[in-house]
Amino acid sequence: MSGATRTRLIRSNTTTAVAVAAISIGIAAVLFGLGFAAMFELIALTGTLVGFPTLTLLGALLVVQGGAVVTFGLGSRFSVVETNPRPDAGAVAAVVFALVWFVGGGIVASQLFGLGLVGWLPAALLTGGVGFAVTVLPGEDIGSTAPAGAVAVLTGLVFLSDLVGAQSVWGLGWEQQASLTAEFMIPVLTVFCALLTGWAAAKAYGGFGARGRRAGAYLLIYLNAGAIVTVLFSLVAFTLFKGLPGLFRGVAVGAGVGPQSTISLFGFGFSFSLPVAWPFVMNGVGLLNEFNGVLPAIVGTFWLVVGAVLFAVPLGVGAAIFLTEYAERGRFTQVVEVATNGLWSTPSIVFGLFGFAFLIPRFGNGKSLLSGMLTLGFMLLPLVVITSREAMLAVPDEYRDASAALGVTKWQTIRSVVLPAALPGVVTGVILGVGRIAGETAPILLTMAGGVFVPGSQTANVLGGFQFTASPPFVANPQLLEATSALPYQLYALITAGVGASGNVGNPDEFRWATALVLLAVVLSFYAVGIVTRYYFRRRLNYE
Amino acid sequence: MAQAAETETGAETLARHVRRFREFLATTDREALAVVGVMSLALLSAFVGFLLVSAYTIVPFAVFLGAAGYGWIRYQGLTARLLMLTMTVSTIVILLLIITFIFYESVPVLVYESTTVLGVSVPGLRMFTQPNWDAVSSPIRYSMVPMIHGTVMVTVIATVVAAPLGIAAALFLSEIAPAPVREFVKPGVEILAGIPSIVYGFIGFTVLSPWASDQFRILGQGTYLFVGVVVGLMALPTIVSVAEDALNTVPESMKSGSLAVGTTDWQTMTSITLPAAFSGVSAAVLLGVGRAIGETMAATVMLRGVPRITDPLYNVFYGQETLTSLIARNYGEADGLQMDALFVAGVILFVTVLVISIGSQYIEWRMRKKFGGDV
Repeated sequence: MSGATRTRLIRSNTTTAVAVAAISIGIAAVLFGLGFAAMFELIALTGTLVGFPTLTLLGALLVVQGGAVVTFGLGSRFSVVETNPRPDAGAVAAVVFALVWFVGGGIVASQLFGLGLVGWLPAALLTGGVGFAVTVLPGEDIGSTAPAGAVAVLTGLVFLSDLVGAQSVWGLGWEQQASLTAEFMIPVLTVFCALLTGWAAAKAYGGFGARGRRAGAYLLIYLNAGAIVTVLFSLVAFTLFKGLPGLFRGVAVGAGVGPQSTISLFGFGFSFSLPVAWPFVMNGVGLLNEFNGVLPAIVGTFWLVVGAVLFAVPLGVGAAIFLTEYAERGRFTQVVEVATNGLWSTPSIVFGLFGFAFLIPRFGNGKSLLSGMLTLGFMLLPLVVITSREAMLAVPDEYRDASAALGVTKWQTIRSVVLPAALPGVVTGVILGVGRIAGETAPILLTMAGGVFVPGSQTANVLGGFQFTASPPFVANPQLLEATSALPYQLYALITAGVGASGNVGNPDEFRWATALVLLAVVLSFYAVGIVTRYYFRRRLNYE
Repeated sequence: MAQAAETETGAETLARHVRRFREFLATTDREALAVVGVMSLALLSAFVGFLLVSAYTIVPFAVFLGAAGYGWIRYQGLTARLLMLTMTVSTIVILLLIITFIFYESVPVLVYESTTVLGVSVPGLRMFTQPNWDAVSSPIRYSMVPMIHGTVMVTVIATVVAAPLGIAAALFLSEIAPAPVREFVKPGVEILAGIPSIVYGFIGFTVLSPWASDQFRILGQGTYLFVGVVVGLMALPTIVSVAEDALNTVPESMKSGSLAVGTTDWQTMTSITLPAAFSGVSAAVLLGVGRAIGETMAATVMLRGVPRITDPLYNVFYGQETLTSLIARNYGEADGLQMDALFVAGVILFVTVLVISIGSQYIEWRMRKKFGGDV
């Protein structure tokens, strides 16, 4: 697709103009970076930058940038630079510029000249109208550069003239008071002007017209994609940076330093000590502990996931098989589809409420691990149905026909042809779904909960808990009917407990970040495994 | 097939089903029928027993397991088919159970909050006509207005953030990005969806909220503005993946046809691909809105938890309470009417999101029909 348009149309020698536009894009990038640096307080607005006061430098750069963009538009208009502008700058640009000028005019009229509603509204309408007219009436070259450049120049002049100083505060005068401070407004305005003029400069770089629009749009879209990835990385990196010290506190490696484990086989017990001691993931919270940890929550999350998978995967895969292989398309399948999609989008807290009203009275009238498992299972079910169905629909009909031609029954075809072929898709879907529910807090808040600082003795031991009883329901497992902790809930409890509650954890803040990191690591490892599995199977399918 | 079903009348459909059931009875041997019958009856009574909170639920369930085991050995095909039908029905049953239970639990408070309009008593109306939530001091009032206001504020901000960015990212992934970049960005977007909401909330609570209090000189912590931004970030992956699917359903021949007459790829996107996929992209935004409405933990941790309407209405710098955070914050100490009021909040959330989900499914269904694909 992209190859089709890569051929350069021949334009007359425009290297100087292209260079000017490229430099302008460069200045926009610098302004963009400076704006964000100022927003995150990496550079101080009151300080100096390369010898100039920061505010003066920003203002001067904005004026230069705006001037360059406007000059380029004028140059194109008077045929100094050869471009292919179209008759107008387009509807989207017109609406955006009209809005920008409306807001700008309104703020200037009401704040600078102190006009009331009767005064600023006509002024804002006037400037908005002018912005719209300048965008639409002259050709594309003027229309997409002049309004953007003028905004940048005016903003720059405001910075230079000290109308908005580094210490300015604009009180909004609301009942619940809030103010717009210079340390927020100046970075935001700078970034906004950088985007606006950067887009105009990219358009100019492409010589306006179809190619120019492509250049302008691609700049913004690439920036957007880059920003999303940056946000993701900074979130993960930030959690990692804050959580690592707490996570690895007290780690020791060596023979016999770890907690003692016992393996019993056929009556023979064999005890040994693990060669690694990692207190944060191997301990609970206790008075005698040198280092505290979140072992009960990790084990709780593990059992929650196991329970939810045991409940939802057979149910979901079975429903998917019935829908794709047996059911005729009609009212019934439509209703099931609407129901699964409705379940998929149901808010997690509603599942929690449902579990609270439906499951808790039926499982011993108290919050329990079992209720939590089933609630998460209800959440996982629609995901399993949807992904398994997609995987089964992707199995080619030739497979089924070839199998049926051998004279086997429908069920045998499903069992030995359809299911194995669809297995990779089902497995990937289940793994990604599990990643999603493992991090859910809201549903287990109402059905399972747990404590803030959980002692190691509360680690659930589900397998050892089964016992038979004489009274109905004859099988009991007190471990399943007790509330235990889980990582997402524990993090929530730690946050709401506030700074005051410290249990006997030495550094609560470090403890919280380490819990967040463990949770993130558990959930993201499910995602990583799911994505790698999908990648692996897709490659194998492609090469076959 | 679907068309045939639409044209026949109800009586004909019923007659067809009865005929098929008779055929099934006639062609299946007696023992298999007995096994299937025992399985169905046992499962049904186990379900009823579970609903009635009976301690003996396990007895019919054990019978069901036994019958299913026997059937699996003797009549595997038939048993498997019945089991799968049961599993399919269970998805509908779960949805119906959710509807029944959350509506049932919310009845008492609806009765308490009745108001008479023109001589007719309308249950629950007072929850929407006055703005006071006071669960402690008399008069005790459970108004949903402040929370609906909060949810609307957060959802609007989240949509303003997520919709343009999400659509742009979907265009990037589906049309623009070179293959290696896509292989890198697409899992990135998925992982963004994977970060648990409580972690978003924790970062928002420890980093964004104090920063916002400082920047905007507000009293205390918690702003709708930044909750909206964080929730928007969480709704973003939903919008990206659904919109990308919609863009991918536009047939390649339409795009190639446009490119062949000499347009740039950006012109093809704005005048062919996006208009053709418009309904799918709007369904994506709708689903994103649904996610934003239901987002709980980030809002709970970052908001103030004081149910009142901000002053003025559009004051985004103060974050009070949303429907979801109301439930998550108050379930602990609530009982009686207050707990039921939380269920009313749940009902509002559930109904809104269900309507959005069905609406977006209808839009997607129409789009698939338009392109003549598999409906």
